[in-house]
Amino acid sequence: MAGAAARATHSAGNHITERQDLMRERQLREAAIQEVGDEAVGPSCQRSGRYGAIARTIARRMPFEVALALPAQLTVLAVVLVPTLVVLWLSVTSWQPTQGIPWYKAEVVWLSNFVDLVQDADFVSAVLRTVFIVVLSAAVELFLAIGLALLFMEDWAWRRLAVSAIIIPMMIVPVDAANAFYMLFNDQGPLNYILSLLIGRTVQIDWLGDVHLALVPIILCEIWQWTPLMFLLMLTGLMNLPENQIRAAAVLGASPRRVFMRVILPLLMPVILLSLIVRSIEIFKLFDPVYIMTQGGPGNATETISMYMYHGAFMFFRMGYMAAAALMVLVVVITISAMLARPLMRH
Amino acid sequence: MGREKRLPDRSRRKFLKQTALAAAGCAFAPPLLLTASAVHAAQLELQGVDIQAAAQAKKLAANKDVTLTIMEPSGSLGNIKPVAERWSAATGIKIKYVEVPLEEIDQKMMLEAISKAGSFDLALPASFGLPDLVTSGIVHNLDELSGKYQPPGYTSDMLYTVGNYYKGRLYGYGTDGDTYVMFYLKDWLDNPDEKKRFADKHGYELQVPKTWEQLDQMMAFFHRPDRGMYGGALFRTRFFIAWEWWVRFHAKGYYPFGPGMKPQINNDAGVQALAELVAASKYLYPGARSNGLFENFQAFGQGGKFCNIGWGGTQKYLNSDKSSVKGELAFGPMPGGVVEGQFLSTPYFNWGWNYVVSSLSPNKEIAYLFTLYAVSPVESTIAIRDQNGYFDPFRKVHYKDPWIIRTYGEPFLAVHEASMANSMPDLYLRGHGEYFDALRENVQAADVGQKTPKQALNDAAKRWDKITDRMNRGSQQVQWDFLKSHYPPALRNRLKG
Repeated sequence: MAGAAARATHSAGNHITERQDLMRERQLREAAIQEVGDEAVGPSCQRSGRYGAIARTIARRMPFEVALALPAQLTVLAVVLVPTLVVLWLSVTSWQPTQGIPWYKAEVVWLSNFVDLVQDADFVSAVLRTVFIVVLSAAVELFLAIGLALLFMEDWAWRRLAVSAIIIPMMIVPVDAANAFYMLFNDQGPLNYILSLLIGRTVQIDWLGDVHLALVPIILCEIWQWTPLMFLLMLTGLMNLPENQIRAAAVLGASPRRVFMRVILPLLMPVILLSLIVRSIEIFKLFDPVYIMTQGGPGNATETISMYMYHGAFMFFRMGYMAAAALMVLVVVITISAMLARPLMRH
Repeated sequence: MGREKRLPDRSRRKFLKQTALAAAGCAFAPPLLLTASAVHAAQLELQGVDIQAAAQAKKLAANKDVTLTIMEPSGSLGNIKPVAERWSAATGIKIKYVEVPLEEIDQKMMLEAISKAGSFDLALPASFGLPDLVTSGIVHNLDELSGKYQPPGYTSDMLYTVGNYYKGRLYGYGTDGDTYVMFYLKDWLDNPDEKKRFADKHGYELQVPKTWEQLDQMMAFFHRPDRGMYGGALFRTRFFIAWEWWVRFHAKGYYPFGPGMKPQINNDAGVQALAELVAASKYLYPGARSNGLFENFQAFGQGGKFCNIGWGGTQKYLNSDKSSVKGELAFGPMPGGVVEGQFLSTPYFNWGWNYVVSSLSPNKEIAYLFTLYAVSPVESTIAIRDQNGYFDPFRKVHYKDPWIIRTYGEPFLAVHEASMANSMPDLYLRGHGEYFDALRENVQAADVGQKTPKQALNDAAKRWDKITDRMNRGSQQVQWDFLKSHYPPALRNRLKG
């Protein structure tokens, strides 16, 4: 009891000391501000004196910790908020730099960009095509990544070297990877040559020029390059699973398939969902392979939303229209992410 | 040597002219005449215009540290640098190069129009992008400066100049003769057995085709893929495909726009032209739908393809040691058509780089003098000699230069010169990229079977109408009327619309 009282007394003493320190600090700060203010207020600078007084008032009333964080907060606000406001403004205008007028003087067309976009078959098909690529690529990457990660759960010779080899593709610059696939799938490229050797007659499939095949090299390039990332995430997830539950299931006689389906997979679900969200957002922005391999063609058979917006914004400079498209795409991405994030919340 | 000889002559003339003007000024001295004489005195003479332009620039830059920055498409440095080095030696004005990917230069300039960073004084955009660049405000109008300096007759031996203007006002000087030319394998055309078989089958002689119909028949005739022979290497990739349709369409006797700027690309002639293009695709080599520009050069340079379409740059490659068809080619103008029983020739200028002056440049006058210098007969000849650069002949004098003759070969230059002189202009309208993209996408969609030719052109026409409205129909009409008036007379008098 006495000990507790002593601790309370000691605590109260500490509290008083802290308050005294704070008061002393505030007095010193005010003295410093006064000193600076006095220097600023000269006979020739009444305006700066007035501003100095305002600054002093703000500084006196603003908590010190807020003053410290404020510059960073204002910077972030400027970086995020200002561009967002500009995009919002542009989306309701018909601005093109080719009009020769500044963006802030653009003609307001209200919601007509959005109405046009909904009726724009190219935009709608680009969004749907991108969603298809996202679903297919993310699913295949996940499937391959889990399979590979399970292989790498056991320790075996050359395991570390194999992990290093597997993650090499994701370290390659995306443009270079796309170039490699462009060469690989060229009608005169090695793939057709290998197929010719296997089949025994000349194969000249026009992979990139055939409207039904042109997406294949693009999706394969994406899967090849980014499965390693998914693999690393899955491997990390698997290695951090609680072993007790897995062992208990095995001891109780569950088959390896059952252990995987009923124990490992549910435990791994948060990692899977998070990986899917990250990869989906990334794939939604797919640009490099499309630009390098097909430029969105043949026709618009491989035009993703990024390619569509690149054409619109940087080749035709329809900035207002593309700002509206960007906002609509943002809504789509947020919706997909929210759908994927909902089960994650439960976990 | 020749230049040294010209100098005294020019000085004497200049002295006499200035003395006469001074005498007139003293005698009458009305302010207006003084102003006029001052302008006239600055105007350069055609003979030695490069040296005079350099001298004027040197005078303007006296006691100043001037550096001109040129934004140029990658691959053209070989053309620009020799000329720029001579300019620097003559004027003391330094040149800095900003190289950007060739398909992005117009975009970079447009971004400059937004940012107003003033990062270049001169640029070399593709001529088809000029209307958009002009209306964005980034390109300086040269009417005043050309009135002050450009000597009479400066452009008279240029074979194609319509790309220098927007709505009749001067905005740049073309420095590259990018007219379309056809390439054929001479061995195949001259083979007596093939000649006989072809004549037996089609009833006319196998030779460089005059019309698209003849070309399509020859491509079908030579297409024997089992023997490694293909009808052609014509472009079927998105960026290039519409240009071929454009020529096929014009060869049927129509302008792309009718009265009131209503598109007529989807009329029966347009649909037929597209159907014929799609049918011709069967006779192309397998990479036609995926290979870009340089892959196309390489593929045709390997041999085994009857014909190809291209520019002077294509010939530079095919006439080099990199190509196995060097010296084995025949050349022809773009095939034409037969309209109302008469042959209609349709050469087509569809690229080309133009020297323009940035409206943000602090040294516009010096920058203009550089363009005058670089595009002058002497300097442009030096630029075009570069074996690997993009610039192709565009002045009559270029076709007489032994170096240029060696680079391209005489047979090619003969066809090129005739095509340049009679080329129809590209669609130099605001929104050129959008018009052509609508066409490219839909022509390609028809080519790969996504749409019928009628559907594809209807879709393209709908988009054209929207683009025209958005760009302001009245304003577009003014420029379209200007363009129509600059189609070669032989075409202008016969195209409908």
